Amino acid sequence: MENLRIGVYICMCGTNIAKIVDVEAVAKFASEVPEVVLAKSYKYMCSNPGQEMIIQDIKENNLNRIVVAACSPNMHERTFRSALRIAGLNQYLLEMANIREQCSWVHSDPVEATEKAKALVNAAISRVKLHEELESVSARMCPNVLVIGGGIAGMTAALELADAGNTVYLVEKENHLGGNLARVDLTAPYLYSARDLLTERITRINNNKNIKVFLSSKVTSLTGYIGNFRAVIQNLVSIQEGKTRDTEVEIGNVIVCTGYKEFDASRIVHYGYGKLPNVITSFEFEKMLRAGRIETKEGKTPKYVAIIHCVGSRSQEFHSYCSRVCCMTALKYAHEIKSAIPDCYVSDIYIDMHAFGKGHEDFYRSSSQAKTLFLMYEKGDRPVIHKAGPKDDCGMLIEVNEKLSGETIEIPADLVILMVGMEAREDAYEVARIVNISQDKEGWFIESHPKLEPVATTTDGVFIAGTCVAPKDIPDTVAQARAAAARILARIAKEKIEIDALYSEVNPNLCSGCRLCNLLCPYSAIEFLEDKKQSHIISALCKGCGVCVAACPSSAIKGRHFTDQQILAQVEGLLAEKL
Amino acid sequence: MEETKPKLKLAVYWAAACGGCCVSVLDVHEKLFDIISAADLVFWPIALDTKYHDVEKMPDGYIDITLFNGAIRNTENEEMAKLLRKKSKILVAYGSCAHLGGIPGLANFTTKDEIFKRVYFESESVVNEKNLIPVPEYKAEEGTLFLPSFYNDVRALSQVTEPDYYLPGCPPQSERLLEVFKAIVSGAELPPKGSVIGAETKTQCDECIRKKTENKRIKKFYRPWEIKDDGITCFMEQGVLCMGPATRAGCGYRCIKGNAPCRGCYGPPPGVPDPGAKMMSAVASIIDEKDPEGINKILEDLADPAGTFYRFSLPVSLIRRKIL
Repeated sequence: MENLRIGVYICMCGTNIAKIVDVEAVAKFASEVPEVVLAKSYKYMCSNPGQEMIIQDIKENNLNRIVVAACSPNMHERTFRSALRIAGLNQYLLEMANIREQCSWVHSDPVEATEKAKALVNAAISRVKLHEELESVSARMCPNVLVIGGGIAGMTAALELADAGNTVYLVEKENHLGGNLARVDLTAPYLYSARDLLTERITRINNNKNIKVFLSSKVTSLTGYIGNFRAVIQNLVSIQEGKTRDTEVEIGNVIVCTGYKEFDASRIVHYGYGKLPNVITSFEFEKMLRAGRIETKEGKTPKYVAIIHCVGSRSQEFHSYCSRVCCMTALKYAHEIKSAIPDCYVSDIYIDMHAFGKGHEDFYRSSSQAKTLFLMYEKGDRPVIHKAGPKDDCGMLIEVNEKLSGETIEIPADLVILMVGMEAREDAYEVARIVNISQDKEGWFIESHPKLEPVATTTDGVFIAGTCVAPKDIPDTVAQARAAAARILARIAKEKIEIDALYSEVNPNLCSGCRLCNLLCPYSAIEFLEDKKQSHIISALCKGCGVCVAACPSSAIKGRHFTDQQILAQVEGLLAEKL
Repeated sequence: MEETKPKLKLAVYWAAACGGCCVSVLDVHEKLFDIISAADLVFWPIALDTKYHDVEKMPDGYIDITLFNGAIRNTENEEMAKLLRKKSKILVAYGSCAHLGGIPGLANFTTKDEIFKRVYFESESVVNEKNLIPVPEYKAEEGTLFLPSFYNDVRALSQVTEPDYYLPGCPPQSERLLEVFKAIVSGAELPPKGSVIGAETKTQCDECIRKKTENKRIKKFYRPWEIKDDGITCFMEQGVLCMGPATRAGCGYRCIKGNAPCRGCYGPPPGVPDPGAKMMSAVASIIDEKDPEGINKILEDLADPAGTFYRFSLPVSLIRRKIL
């Protein structure tokens, strides 16, 4: 075995670590551990001088293992790996001990925190001894992109990618492009026409030779891995005709923009949707606006219109989240009604007015000035809609326990608009399964990191954008679509894709083909080789999550960089008595 | 095997064992004559009246091969293990108990005190009016009498001395014993010290011809008598816990051939740090349920999990024994 020469670095992180952990004591402790050549503390290990110190030490002292005790490896493992690379050392000969998030930040007793930091450093030293040099692999990056969903997000992403010269396969389930936005009249807060927004996009798409549009189609399978996917696109019309017309395409990346569906208002029984003819949903009202005729079922111009917010949203029974667009859409309705029927009384029955976006607060103010009656109700204390009596000059009466005045108020209405929230589509599960991404408890697709990776998923090469991720408005949707496209363009520009060396592998000398692991892989990276009667892991698909490593009853599957021996050494180092 | 060759000196010893390993040596049937023609049995308590002091008198390294079976349960076992180590050129941990601690090793789920309480006071068949328990030393009129001391822990042979090889099985298959014996007699190059011999590196599944598919999801565990085994489908796919996936091949998957799931006596394949934990982790991975209560319900049907997963290997496992 090679002679181990370990360098240990203890970061103070300014005062983040140093104010609780005695970094000098930890460094002194580490310096006395066998095979540790040097142990140093420094104010900011991640800074340029900090990294430079590691690089110099590696060169001058022939260090071949590095331990950095600092923050979470999520934060700076890449930084220090790169320092090792620059110094000519394999980047995987590094181990980080997290003495910030898992030590100084969560402890208040300096003595105990210092002892814990020593234990964490000792664990890292024990582990790093068993680290192996690993090489990452690279694969070809096919420049073609599959975009699933032809709404505003899908169209925007497709144009962005195609304008850069790449082939895009744009798949839409309906027989036309536009998605949910095609059902909308004007958009809040600037009252631009949705139709104008869409027409421009659709025309550009139809004129772009790089975009192949598949209408009335869906993706039925996606196999392969980042840079090298194959997708099957099925024509739904031909299926209805009893034929199959499948197109197979080669792509490098996928963007899923499958959008949302609206909440089914009939689930809230006492709003009477489906029973009272003049209780309609916001989408039904959009249809009236697009047709240019606001009228009741009986064909009369309404004198009183009431708008009820948060239908299906912000409720424990249905969806606890806010659907984000309904408040502004409701204000938009007030504007549109007032301009179409100036003497109409509009009442707006809301829980809270969410006017967080650009221009929204001004829009709210201008709506209140336009003599809309705002009534606030308590979450869970929903307004009740009755049929009006023969003496009333309106079709319905709405009873609201008005929160601000504390009084029960009866509001007349000829037309009630229910602001139905957004929810995940029923086919989201099927889509998630096909492209191998996850859904949260509400059915929305899960991003790789909610703050820092909002359009990436845990499946490399599969991106998500728009309202299939969570409710959002048009600017946010468009921003996400462009972000996903930009991420893909950056990868296409590199032509090749580096695949992390941290994948799992099956040792063919040990695998007995029990097949216990075969269905466990969340990334579908495990295949069974019928001829050899053994399981095999496609390294490009593997994320190194370790599910199969834990499941393999014969230790035939090894998680590179997370071997049983490395983990046990870490545990033993952590629990060592002589600290 | 030629008569003129100097004969090997062979010893077979039992420590905390059931006797099955010694009998398995006899299971070679008429081949025993081959063994005797190539080797002199110099010590074998089940068959020969050689005394311990006779062994003590032997020069160090006098015995060519000792097949040591049984676990280390008391001082006598340990003393004999160390004595035979000294007197033998090749010390083989023979059978599951010497190899891994074996069935006696399950006693590590209890303690010496609990065992004595049960055996000398509580057992339904015991009448112990004077509340007597064995003591290691007793001063009788005739002089002091000694008994071996009973340890709190059961250990495998490797935990008290250094065996050269491990020949697994409960008991080892006689064919494999013959193979090993012939190899030694023929003077063939022996595997590195510390190797498991007479077994494969892959698991039972490698040899087992039952049909295995990817569908290993378990919705319910069954005891073997609760299912109508079709004799064809992998036991795990029928919800019957089979230790085969975590157990070395080498026995010719005899239990499975007899339509009983593997019990794991051949021990883990190489590189498995803790066979019981490994199999538990494997089983946990394939339970087809996400709801915690549902999982508990499925696990309730798994009879005696500790005894099942660690049936032969508790003393050499990471947990080694019950702590609390």
